[in-house]
Amino acid sequence: MGLQIWIDGFFTGSVYAIIALSMTIVYQPTRIMNFAQGEGFILGAALGYQFIGVWKWPLLTSVLVLIVLAIIMGFIMERMIMLPVQLSGSKFAWIIATLAAALVFQSIFNIKYVNVTFSYFEFIEKDISIGGAKLSIQKLLVILFMIAIYAANELFLKKTLWGRSIRAIAHNPDTSTILGIPTKPVIKLGFVTGTIVIALVGFLAAPVIIVAPAAGLFYTIQGFTAGIIGGVGNAKGAVVGGLTIGILDSVVRSWLGGTWGLFSTFFVLAAILILRPNGFFGKRVEGR
Amino acid sequence: MISTYKGLNRALVIGSILGIALLYAFPLISKTTSNPSFYLQVVSVAAFSAILTISLNICMGYGGLLSLMHTGMQMIGGYTIGILMVKKGWNGWLGLIMAAAVGAIFAVLVILLSLRATYLYFGMITLAINLIAMETVRHGGELTDGYDGLFGIFAPGIPSGIMSADTFYVVVVTILIAIYVVQRNLILSGFGRNTMALRESSETATALGISPNMHRLKVFAVSGAIAGLAGGLLSMQMGYAFSEIGDLNNGLIFFVGLFLGGVGTLAGPILGVALVAVIDFSIRGTAQYRTLILGAILLTTMIIMPRGIVGTYRASRYGSPRSREVMPGEADNYQLDIEVKGVAKNEVILEAVDVVKHFGGVHAVDGISVQFKAGEIHGIIGPNGSGKSTLISAMTRYHELTSGSVKLFGTEAAKKPFQVARDGVTRVFQIPHLFERVSVLDNVLTGMYRRDNYNVFDAILRTPRYKKANSRSVAEAKALLSMAGMLGKEELAAGSISHGQKRLLEVIRAVATQPKILILDEPATGLTQDELLSLKTLIRKLAKSGMCIVLIEHNVAFLMDLADIVTVIQSGKVIAEGTPHAVQKDERVLEAYLGNTDFSKELA
Repeated sequence: MGLQIWIDGFFTGSVYAIIALSMTIVYQPTRIMNFAQGEGFILGAALGYQFIGVWKWPLLTSVLVLIVLAIIMGFIMERMIMLPVQLSGSKFAWIIATLAAALVFQSIFNIKYVNVTFSYFEFIEKDISIGGAKLSIQKLLVILFMIAIYAANELFLKKTLWGRSIRAIAHNPDTSTILGIPTKPVIKLGFVTGTIVIALVGFLAAPVIIVAPAAGLFYTIQGFTAGIIGGVGNAKGAVVGGLTIGILDSVVRSWLGGTWGLFSTFFVLAAILILRPNGFFGKRVEGR
Repeated sequence: MISTYKGLNRALVIGSILGIALLYAFPLISKTTSNPSFYLQVVSVAAFSAILTISLNICMGYGGLLSLMHTGMQMIGGYTIGILMVKKGWNGWLGLIMAAAVGAIFAVLVILLSLRATYLYFGMITLAINLIAMETVRHGGELTDGYDGLFGIFAPGIPSGIMSADTFYVVVVTILIAIYVVQRNLILSGFGRNTMALRESSETATALGISPNMHRLKVFAVSGAIAGLAGGLLSMQMGYAFSEIGDLNNGLIFFVGLFLGGVGTLAGPILGVALVAVIDFSIRGTAQYRTLILGAILLTTMIIMPRGIVGTYRASRYGSPRSREVMPGEADNYQLDIEVKGVAKNEVILEAVDVVKHFGGVHAVDGISVQFKAGEIHGIIGPNGSGKSTLISAMTRYHELTSGSVKLFGTEAAKKPFQVARDGVTRVFQIPHLFERVSVLDNVLTGMYRRDNYNVFDAILRTPRYKKANSRSVAEAKALLSMAGMLGKEELAAGSISHGQKRLLEVIRAVATQPKILILDEPATGLTQDELLSLKTLIRKLAKSGMCIVLIEHNVAFLMDLADIVTVIQSGKVIAEGTPHAVQKDERVLEAYLGNTDFSKELA
């Protein structure tokens, strides 16, 4: 029983870690914590439900169409958020704009899916056994996906020219523009990649967790909490933070019941913000 | 042009009076429609929203505190009145007062928890607390009736029974107007000036002696009280309290209203919410699209009209104040004798004793001892990066010392920068730190707030005590402006005056705090000859009054002409100190500045 809780926690934690990673991908070039990020998760879950659960499409087609739609969503989101941020000049602009974008997407999902939770069958219905505890292949896929995304992000940032441009833009967008770095395409790429990543995890995880159309903001907050624990904008921190709250949630749930799991995350968020405003590993963040 | 501005203002006043009359007459107007009670409810719900949006405007628009828990505070207000009325049998109006009180207390608790948070984190903390509050209410058992919500709330009649919808409506409108007046009176008083000062630059506000934490606490408490009140009223109208009221989705309307009307403007929240109510009313048939439409409106507003309606108007050439013409002889009305009290001539005011400040391996200040005395103009020079500004920051407690001590009037100086400022040490920063969106006059008045002996309630109620203090401060501020030749520009936004005038205004604002010692960090940079002359005259006058002036300056001619004593700093150490004449002859100084001793000897 004990091990099972940890394995479940590790899986949930991987989901949160990927969400946090996708938020990091958007944060790196923009310095924006995107409140609308969780809506990409819902997009993945909703399309999985629609394509596989309702229309019975083959897996590969579903994934390809999902990626195309996620790219479109990424572009739309970039415009919805960056235009107000660039034009408004208020230091709160990005918070308000990303929140507004989140609510707009959320209401679209709510209009389309009334009283539906996005559940569909697992792609590979098989469990593996680890020391008496069960782990389904579906969950294992999510965990592997998390590791792959982390590794890919690190490699991309450190080894490629685009990656170095992103890091330059993170430091100073104006100087980067002067140096000839295509700032705007890099920002667009950030939004698009972030949305693809989070939509894919929504798609992978929805069969094994309950996802409701209005849950986007909840997942955003989980991802944000993970980011805060690990230090915002730091990929390693995103993974550590995600796993921490996943395992914490799982342990608290088994002790005190479901609602307390939810509470525990929020309490941890509040506690960390109050006690360690810089996160455990990160530098102090000052938004834009 | 000036008359157009006045004329438009008069038109706005008349418009407002008509608007208020229309609001009060609305129960009668609604009787002519097919469904009077429905229309009445639409308007009163808009009025609650307007009250809540004013609350949001105070903390976010003026205070720079982004709260994502205003819907939560609204919910808490509703539950307070619900629990007191339904479970404890209290009178509803008492419950409403308690709703405001609980809102304020809740806000204070939240801000106490999050004092160290930056604005981004503050938003996140409030979001997390909002979710916790909603969950708590849902699991509140007997007290809150859990997920069902708390039913049986109503607006009690006076003295007994249930208040009629028409009367309740009048009460709501009256409360809305009262809350608007509270907002206006607060914002236009010293309280509001400090709030805006903190929003624009926490650092500068601190230098003027404003305690950032204490003031933020007050701002948020006021905002919380108003939010609790709005929530209580909403629950009275609806008849129940429900956890969903706290949902962030329900808060969208406040943000839309605030951004549409204009963030940080007085009339913005009311105008914005009125517009949103009209939009909301016209899309009432398609309720499921409401969030979508409101969200789209919010994003569009931020793109095409970032300042909102009122803000755009105020920034336009019709709505923004201009400099007025100064009457001949007007300046004579404002004579000010600056007098530094309680300081003996040549008394040591501020003293650094072996002050060391290291940043990692960088020895910015490496053991400096220096004394600043009353009535003297003390120049500090040194090459770039020699540690002049760091020394000042360390002495005013902006930096923690690595070692050594700072003494103010012979005893160890207070630990917090705002306390040091309150004890009579005012600094003017190297880079301009004006409150740019605030008027020239208000910038100076912000410097005077320590002398305003009225409290929040005096300001809200405009008591005689407030009026007396305010007119005295305004006269004094005008006198100071007149000294700097800036009479007539009082109403201009500080961001719109020239660079030189900004620098002078900053010095004036610092003088307004009535310091014992005034520290000026490169005040002469970028000034024209005329402005330099004004600055010189002002500094001499201040020193004559007994004030100590510390002058950090690269303009050596300017400094040597003014200073009584000059300290030369290089690489974090004092290399020379003495009269300007002596220092100019000092070999080490020449070496520091010119590098080659033989060559500089030749020059000399």
